[in-house]
Amino acid sequence: MKQKLSRNVIVAGMAAVAIAALLGLAGCSTTAGVEATGKTTWDEQGARSLEKNVVFNNSGLKGDIQIVDIKSAMAGDVMRTQATLRSKDKDTLPFQYRFEWYDGSGLEINSGAGSWKPLILYGREAKTIQAVAPDSRAREFKLKIREPD
Amino acid sequence: MKIEMKVLLTAAVIGAFSLSGCASTMQYGDAGSAKPLTTEFGSSDLQQIAEAMVDSMITFPPMVEMTASRRPVVSVDKVKNKTMQHIDTESVTDSIRTRLIRSGKFRFIDRTTDAQTIEELKTQQDSGLVDKKTAVDFGQQIGAEFLLTSNLSEIKQKAGSTTDVYYKFTMSLKNLKTGILEWSDEKEIRKVFKRGTFGG
Repeated sequence: MKQKLSRNVIVAGMAAVAIAALLGLAGCSTTAGVEATGKTTWDEQGARSLEKNVVFNNSGLKGDIQIVDIKSAMAGDVMRTQATLRSKDKDTLPFQYRFEWYDGSGLEINSGAGSWKPLILYGREAKTIQAVAPDSRAREFKLKIREPD
Repeated sequence: MKIEMKVLLTAAVIGAFSLSGCASTMQYGDAGSAKPLTTEFGSSDLQQIAEAMVDSMITFPPMVEMTASRRPVVSVDKVKNKTMQHIDTESVTDSIRTRLIRSGKFRFIDRTTDAQTIEELKTQQDSGLVDKKTAVDFGQQIGAEFLLTSNLSEIKQKAGSTTDVYYKFTMSLKNLKTGILEWSDEKEIRKVFKRGTFGG
């Protein structure tokens, strides 16, 4: 009888851990997402070009969102950028994004100062997001997109 | 035996809840987090407003032209808070001013520290402690060319379990000499809260 009771306690303990794990999983979301970078360079003739690169760190997000286009221009001496995103889902999806800016030597400007911004994409909608560099040193940006935390 | 099992099951469920988040925790959060907790004006709203205003102002073509060769001097007016909430609006304008200064395109005068400035200048002039050659004279500060003014308003709607709050922040740059608004923009934010069946 006593042995059976202790076994029951173990079973209950295991059940508790299992339920806790389930609740824990349901409560948190992955923060890894999409990263798109763009680096502006000038050739000898002074023509400006933008090197682009998109990395998906999250296969779930890859199924939801597509980066259609990345553009960049200068407003005076400050770099501006625009990314066009398209939802692949038929439902409305919330995302968060932020831009980080780097100077010509690849050092981040105002490191850690950027904030996440909310973005809502309706079903199969394409939307542009824009950002302006904090100052004239910026030559490169990184766009991060993730699911809301 | 049956009662025993029930007790154990209850214990398991209680244990599960306590393991998964009922226990108190303390940790650092991300200062740039965009997770809204309530429909009240929050940190992410402040950051979104500051970024939107600064981005708009430094890329507005006449501003680009004007700031290409010089850095105009600007003064910041208090935000007219027309919401029903108590908001530290100086914190909003501080963020905007900081970003504008760091952009290297504008210079600012700060009227909130005038009392301390006068105190310091009085000491330099009258106390006899400071070398007259290095003492700063009164009446040499530069007058602001522009005044940055702003409004924050909210429209709140409540129907059943849903609360919908719309915020609008409007900012203008006024030329103090001519009275003309050289630039203006607004940022809108909508926050929707739906009360859950079990939520408090």
